[in-house]
Formats: sequence, C-alpha cells, structure tokens
Amino acid sequence: MQEHKVLVANRGEIAMRIVQACRKLGLDFVCVYTHEDRHSGHVALARSLGGERAACRVSSYHDANELMAVADHAGATAVHPGYGFFAEDFRFARRATNRDRKLIFIGPSWRVIRELGDKINTKRLARSLGVPTVPGSDKPIYDELEAEDIAASLFAFQAEQGIKRPMVLVKASAGGGGMGIEEVLDPDMFRAVYRRVRNYSRRQFHDEGVLIEQRIEDFNHLEVQVVSDRSGKNPVHFGTRNCTVQSTGRQKRIEVAPGFAPSEIAYTFDAQKVLDDIIGHSLTLARKVGYDSVGTWEWIVTRQGEPYLMEVNTRIQVENGVSAAISRIRGKNGVDIIAEQIRTGLGEPLGYTQEDVTFEGVGIEYRIIAEAPEDRFAPWVGRIDEFRWRDEPWLALHTQIPTDVAYDIPTEYDPNLALAIIWGKDLSEAKARGRGFLDGLTLKGENRQGGMRSNIAFLGDRTERLLVF
Amino acid sequence: MLDVTKLLEEIKASPYQEMEITAPQTGEVTFGGLAVGDKVVGPSGEFREKPGTTVATLTRERNPRPIRATQKGTVMEIFSDLEGTFVETGTPLVRIRHYLSKDEVQSAILRKALHLFRAPERAKYYFTPEVDTKIRAGGLESVHVREGMEILIMSRMKREAPLHYAGPDGVIYAVYFSPSQNVDAGAPLIGVCPPDQVALIQDVVVRVQTEWSEQD
Repeated sequence: MQEHKVLVANRGEIAMRIVQACRKLGLDFVCVYTHEDRHSGHVALARSLGGERAACRVSSYHDANELMAVADHAGATAVHPGYGFFAEDFRFARRATNRDRKLIFIGPSWRVIRELGDKINTKRLARSLGVPTVPGSDKPIYDELEAEDIAASLFAFQAEQGIKRPMVLVKASAGGGGMGIEEVLDPDMFRAVYRRVRNYSRRQFHDEGVLIEQRIEDFNHLEVQVVSDRSGKNPVHFGTRNCTVQSTGRQKRIEVAPGFAPSEIAYTFDAQKVLDDIIGHSLTLARKVGYDSVGTWEWIVTRQGEPYLMEVNTRIQVENGVSAAISRIRGKNGVDIIAEQIRTGLGEPLGYTQEDVTFEGVGIEYRIIAEAPEDRFAPWVGRIDEFRWRDEPWLALHTQIPTDVAYDIPTEYDPNLALAIIWGKDLSEAKARGRGFLDGLTLKGENRQGGMRSNIAFLGDRTERLLVF
Repeated sequence: MLDVTKLLEEIKASPYQEMEITAPQTGEVTFGGLAVGDKVVGPSGEFREKPGTTVATLTRERNPRPIRATQKGTVMEIFSDLEGTFVETGTPLVRIRHYLSKDEVQSAILRKALHLFRAPERAKYYFTPEVDTKIRAGGLESVHVREGMEILIMSRMKREAPLHYAGPDGVIYAVYFSPSQNVDAGAPLIGVCPPDQVALIQDVVVRVQTEWSEQD
C-alpha cells in the first residue's frame, strides 16, 4: 500500500479504533479534539502512538474548514470521518476529494452518499428495484397542510389494512440515530406533534423538514453489513445483526450477530429465509449503485416475517465490531471492518469473494451508557471515578474513558462510555458470557445529585430474551 | 439592602479587566503591525456592524481571517513567538487591558440586585417558543414570570426537557445566555426584577449613567 496519512475526523472510541486500524495497516495518522474532549482516551492514544503533534485541538468536529486546515498542516492524504459528524455528508466528501490538496474520503464516493445517504432517495431507489420499504412520504415535508394530508392518508391506509392501532411516525428528516422521532396515535394530535418535531429539528439540525411514515409496531430491527472496494462491482456481506433492543428514544443498546438464531430459537416464520432475503436485497441495491465502501442496510421485520428496508447508512457503524467478531475470511479470525474500510478506501482491491467469508458463533455488543433507563433513558452527566472489567479472550472492549484517572463526561456529546463485544460459540454461550461480563463490571461515579446512573442493569435484563421474537 | 455607592467605589478602585484573545480556530497566525501599548476598539455601531481592530490574522486553506478585538483597550502582550506558525484553537494570541464601560458596570451591579434564575445543569438553553415570540414582539420586559412557569427548554446531548421558573414573580430584566452556547451549572440564565426592586434597579441605572465616565 502507498504511504498515506489519515486524518481521523471524529472522537471517542471510533477515533481510537480508526487509529488502531491505521497502525495495523502501517499508516500514519493525525487526530483532532475539542476543548471539552481534552481528557478523552482518543487524545491520549493519538499522542502515545503518534507523538504530541498527532492530536490537534480544533473549535468543533463540525467545522469542515478546521478539519481541512489540520489535514493540510499535518500533510494528511486521506480523511476518515468515523460515524456521525461528516460521515454521511456528501458535500464534505465531495469537497475533500475535489479540492486542490485532495484528500481521499474513506467512505463511499460522494455520489453514492448523495444517492443513498438520503433516506428519501433510498426509498425511491429501493421501490424501483422491487425492494419493500415502509409506506410514507418520499420527500421531506416543510408544509403543515401537506404533512396533515400525508398523515391522514396513512391513517386511512392502515384502517383499510385492518390494523387495530393505526399509528404514524414523525421524524426529523435531518435527524439520525433515533433522535427527533415521535409517534402519533390520535390523528387529532398530529399537528401538535408535527410542530414539536419541526421546532426540535430547527433547533438541533437547523432544518425544518420532517418525514411522515406508517409506524409499524411489533417488529425486529435488522441490519446487513456490506463491504465493497472502489470498483463497486463485487460487494460482499459480513452477515446480519439484530438491533431490536433499543431505548425509548429508539436508540440501539444491544446488537446481536447474526440477526436471528433459527437453530436455537423457534420463530413463527422462516427466519433463515428472511435473513437470506434481506442480504439478497441489500446486495442487489449495493450493486445497482456501485457501492464502493463499508455500509449498512437497515431493515425492519414484522412478526409475520415481512422485511421492509428503512434506510442505508453509508458509513461505518458503531456496531461493526459485532459482525467482525463472527466473521472469518478464508477461515481466519480477527476480521477488522474498519481496517477493511481504510484499506479498500485507499484503493486496494477487496482480495476475496463472498465464498471466502464464513461465519462462526454469535456476537453480542453492549453499549454501556451513562443514563437512567428508568427515567426514559435520560443522560447522566458527572464524574466517573472507577471503570474496571476483567479481560477475557472472548471479550473486546472499546472505550475512550481513562481507567487510571477520574473522568468528567462532557455534556457536549452523547454519554456513551464503552462498547463491549462478547463472542460465544452459540447464542446460549454468548448470553452466559454477556451476563458474566456485566455482573463483573465496575462502574462508579457521582455528580451533584448523587451516585452514577448507567444502563448496565437494563442490558442484563434484556440479555435473557435476545433474538426471541 | 444593596449599597450601590459602595459597589461603585469598589469597581472604581479596580476599573480594569484583563482579557486574552485566543485563536477561535486553527490556522497560521500573523500579527501585522500590532505593538504593545496600541489602543484597540471592539465592534461598534447600532448593530455592532463596525468591526473591532484587527489584532491578528489566521490563515487556513489560503483564506485569511482577521481576528479582531472584542473590547476597547490597550494591548498588554503579544505572543509574537507564534508569528508565522500554525496554531491550534484556543491558543492565546494577544492580551488586552480593558476599562469597564457603563453597560458593564451596570450589568455587574444589577447581577447583585436582580433575582438570578440559574442553570440547574450544564446545558444549552432556549426560551420556549411562546416566550421567545413575546420577547421578539415586545422586548424582555414584556415577559412576566411566575413560580412554576415553563419558560425555558434545557437541551443536553440533543435531549430536551422543559425548565420551570423558580423564584419571585417579576419581569425579565436581563438574559445571560446565548442560544446554542453551553451554560455551566449554577450560572445565571435570566435576571428577574421583582416589583419591590424596581426603584432600586432604576437607581442603579441612573447612578451608573451619571457617575461612571468611560475612557476614550
């Protein structure tokens, strides 16, 4: 591989994993951080592996000019956006690749991001290929009367379908990660909810557009992990994930790979066929657009086993590691999807086909978060005094929280503390190991209101019924 | 009872504020012809449309951006060893000594006279749409607050929660936060003037306007 230097345009655990992947590939790197993140583990890791100048303080992770300035100063040749921030911003990707001092954008080409990154374009494209999608608006709605018309037709449609509790979902079009989504059960309440989501979207995302969709109840949330090289011709999949365990705000808390376990759990539908179908549909769409990086196809599957495509995330995802944990390339363990993304993003061919990718065991990823599940998952902010766990060969733990000094959680970002990825030879073993890991975890801290709050008990409670539908 | 005379004397005894101008972004810094002892001014005009004195220039992606003084004052120190180098955000560039203005003195004293409703948590704060509309239409003092009134939205980590006012009834006299800026826990959000403090507030304003002289 040519010599490259990668600008890591993100923070926290994903920045750390990108740095580690760069080291694995023998690549140089430079990180950025904000004042609020000065004590984050990604800053310490960058400095320990790359020296004092390997971490540069910027005003914001959202400021593209800052990132470009740091890239130029550091002599970076590529930029990895991680997830969030600029990861799915086709304008940023276009700017990076088209400017005088070009940077390779480690992600899909900007045209692919533009085509698939937009939930609405994705829906249109999927429908044209016969891929099932959730009924609803196919463009962001800015007009209240138009929004009410769409909502009324969705309520009527569900009534015609015999759905007992018709429900509509109002989503901030510019949102993501489960933020800015509300349900409407009573048509008379639609206007109030619409206005609330619109105002929220304006404050948080500076955009008033909302999407209105049929709310499908009683479903599982599945994903297909796709990896492709710059040719865009031979995408392969790294299996499925089940992300059904979420917070009340529809943010993922546990991910399991593969998405169902038909060999251990009985389903009312042919679960293996559903997994095969969503993989097939995802790869069809990937080939159609010439998908040329790592990406995730998100699906909902109803209790009747009907899959609907929700959206495509044109980036690396938080939960990539749980798919890597069960994947083998030519029988070898230790798949690193972030390293694969960097390697192929820099122009190397994939070097293997679907036949070379096999799967072994079950992976569970726990998102350990400072929050109060009993209080609608309200984020907890304070100082973490102690964070310890026991190392195991079947455990990978990624965290930006220092374990040797106290750490104040910055209020500017989500209070995600760590990702714990557990592997077992089957679901039963993975669950048993997961419970053992959670039981042995030490996490202590405090703020002015008292002791630390976290979702550890919630994760333990939900482990028992993982993949049951 | 607030002793306005004593407070004014205390401020007169130490009427300066030293402030550091830091790099608001990354870039290559140059200081031009700035020298220690130079007088600088902050933005002025009805809409603060006239920019302050340029104290440094930051260049990134070949685009120079002037860094301007935010207050009137005298240059005390220039970090000239940084000339021509790439600086990180937050790097100190220039130190200025600033003589307090009438508005600043008035604001400092009013903070002791008004009821300060403080931020319960470090977060971003916004007025509720209803209160915001009222302020835009009729100004701050058109908003009468009372105990339990839903007045602000507290936004932290993209989660929002309503914030209810606690304190004496009155009108909003001062706002100490800016939307989209984080406010530390315990910092004042708004200053409320209870009806029994109106005379005192008016006295503060008159005394500062007549007794404080600004420097040229």
